[in-house]
Amino acid sequence: MTTPAAAEGGDGSGRVRLIRWSGLIPLALVVGALVIGWLLFANAIIRSTAQEALSDLLGTEVDIGRVDLRLRTAAIGVFGLEVADPHDSTRNLAQADEIALDLEALPLLQKKVVIDRVTLRALRFGVARRRPARLAAPSGYAAQTMAAVRTWAAQFTVSPLKLTPIDTIKAVVLDPSQLVTVQRATALAARADSMRGTVERGYASLRLAEALDSAQAVTTRLAGVKPATLGVAGTKKAVEDLRHAVAQVNDARARVDAYRTTLTNGVALLTSDLRQLDEARQKDYAFARGLLKLPSLQGPDIGGALFGQVSIDRIQRLMYWYSLGEKYIPAGLRPDTTSAPARRRLAGTTVRFPTTKGYPDFLLRSGELSFAVGGSLAGAYSATVTNLTSTPALVGVPTRFTARRSAPGAQLAALQVAGMMDRIHARPHDSLAVLAGGFSLPGFALPGLPLRLQPGGSTSDLRFARDGDSVDLRWTIHAGQVAWLADSTRAASLNRIEQVVMRAIAGIPDVEIVTTMTGTLKAPRLRVNSNLDDVVSARLRDVAGAEISRAEARAKAAVDRIVDEKTAPLRARVAEIQADGQKRVDDARAKLDAKRTQLEAQLKSLAGPLGGVIRLPDE
Amino acid sequence: MLAILKLLQSLVSTLHSEGTPGQIAAGITLGAALGLTPLVNVHNAVIFALVLVLNVSFGAAMLGWALCVPLGFLLDPLFHRVGHALLLDTPALTPFWTRLYNLPVLPYANFNNTVVLGSFVSWLVLTPLIYFLSRLAVLQYRARFAERIERSAFMRAMKASKAYNVYRWFQP
Repeated sequence: MTTPAAAEGGDGSGRVRLIRWSGLIPLALVVGALVIGWLLFANAIIRSTAQEALSDLLGTEVDIGRVDLRLRTAAIGVFGLEVADPHDSTRNLAQADEIALDLEALPLLQKKVVIDRVTLRALRFGVARRRPARLAAPSGYAAQTMAAVRTWAAQFTVSPLKLTPIDTIKAVVLDPSQLVTVQRATALAARADSMRGTVERGYASLRLAEALDSAQAVTTRLAGVKPATLGVAGTKKAVEDLRHAVAQVNDARARVDAYRTTLTNGVALLTSDLRQLDEARQKDYAFARGLLKLPSLQGPDIGGALFGQVSIDRIQRLMYWYSLGEKYIPAGLRPDTTSAPARRRLAGTTVRFPTTKGYPDFLLRSGELSFAVGGSLAGAYSATVTNLTSTPALVGVPTRFTARRSAPGAQLAALQVAGMMDRIHARPHDSLAVLAGGFSLPGFALPGLPLRLQPGGSTSDLRFARDGDSVDLRWTIHAGQVAWLADSTRAASLNRIEQVVMRAIAGIPDVEIVTTMTGTLKAPRLRVNSNLDDVVSARLRDVAGAEISRAEARAKAAVDRIVDEKTAPLRARVAEIQADGQKRVDDARAKLDAKRTQLEAQLKSLAGPLGGVIRLPDE
Repeated sequence: MLAILKLLQSLVSTLHSEGTPGQIAAGITLGAALGLTPLVNVHNAVIFALVLVLNVSFGAAMLGWALCVPLGFLLDPLFHRVGHALLLDTPALTPFWTRLYNLPVLPYANFNNTVVLGSFVSWLVLTPLIYFLSRLAVLQYRARFAERIERSAFMRAMKASKAYNVYRWFQP
């Protein structure tokens, strides 16, 4: 074992030394190894970390070819940056050959990035990737944003253009039970049956035979009897019997009256229900009209059907980036949480604590970009961005950005982009204006028609404004020399309506599509109009108006036929219940009244001769 | 299996080292920080430097680290809740965190992460408990079992190995 002194780890005096000076050697070695490792691998570490962080941030694969860190001048050079398009994994949304970043050193000590100036060279958009991009982690914020934007876009329903020939109505009413009238008539039939049962039971409970038989027995027994033969006591007894019999008849009469009231009320209810069937029939007419595949005749319907989906797709892409901006450039100043980078242990939540006296986590004071675009928009562009930050409230001025290109005669003759994001206060104010002219938009197929639109030389004017939760977007695309390419295979099998619409559209030399989005950002109203709307609508009305009227009349007749089949027996049954019930009441009343008259006559003949000597009961 | 053997070897070596129970307990306590809190953080660099420079048992620190790593994984949800409560659910502390967040260097400690802060604070709170329990355990072991194990073939084989000699460099 150990000696006492050694056990104390001390110098033999019994006291333990606090510091182990020999431990400084391995400590120095570790620190030295870290410094050497940093010098050797710093660029690779920064590159890898930046790739991972940017991929998480943007929700798409970000690749960086090389990073060059210059500590002395606090500058970073990034080479070969590629950002994959989150909507198309085979293309790069943007790629830049070289990005030069001039950083401020002091904020770096606070783990914050303040870029005084960034310069991008040879930025290109829409370049095909060498290999497809990796998908974003489904649990990441960007992936969730993508899903949320898709859900957001799904709220806009685009009704397809209905050009099915209206003389081939497949089934107005395949299942009659779909009609409200039929459903109500079935229920009413059950109630009528129940009513009939009630009427039968009610009549049986009147006990008419019992009352009439009892009265008949009294009248028979006292027929021809004289007071003189009965004596005073006998006469008095006979008068009492007659009066009792009259009372029984009167009670039965009262029951008949009550029965009549019940019958009247029940029949009135059934009659009222029958009237409601007529109201239900109006709904069934509308339902049957809905089953008809009638062409859309309203202008907005046509615009939405033709260009709605294309517009929604474009706006959805804009909204994805805007939503990311919402997250990373929050309005106001408050502690902000983000998911920490994934690690083997639980990642937890990272909280940012901005203060008005400090630096924001990220600030780009000024950026100058020169970039090139391939394809139909090929050319050189310049852009600026100022005060792009993760905490606008600290910077105190809005983020502004511009892009410009002017090259008369080129495919994209003019481009002007100006935008502003004011998130200094809790209520955000954003605006964006994009004017582009003299470019060719990519062609697209018109849904529901064998036509493809090649817009040719076009102009685009996008205006977006946001004030708090309210948004106002207006996007106008004008194509002055459009070409309509017909799919001859499909065109051969077109019906008459489709042919009319195709001819109407194909004769239009220019197209203007106006997409507007207003209301709240969460649930905006989207409207797509085009100059095709009125032309197509007018032509459809000319050609299809009369046919539509005939089709509607046929639908109405089909409903009437089905409804009448169901309701006519029902009406007869209700009438029968009423007539049968009324007849029973009338018969009962007549019999009872006759019997009472007979009883009263007998009573008079017995009691009258006594001249009031005999005191009659209840007199 | 190898890891378990190494751990066993480390345990026995530490308990039979020349360090005092206090030095071993202090080593285990510091090593617990490495295991309980997420490793790659500035505070763990400081802890590691302390393990090297302070006159505590290095082996005990490694042992504490190894023992507390699985515990750290297990308790991460609890640490997250503790950190969340401190960072977000206690408004009185917000000015304090805001000040720390905007000081130089400190943000690199990742104290603003719920798991990092929660695990570190939990370790700080548990420090006296870990220290005294470890110290008690070492005292009990040395009094009851040390003599027999010291004479065992396993201990003799271990002492003869080169690893033991390297280990002895850091003995207190």
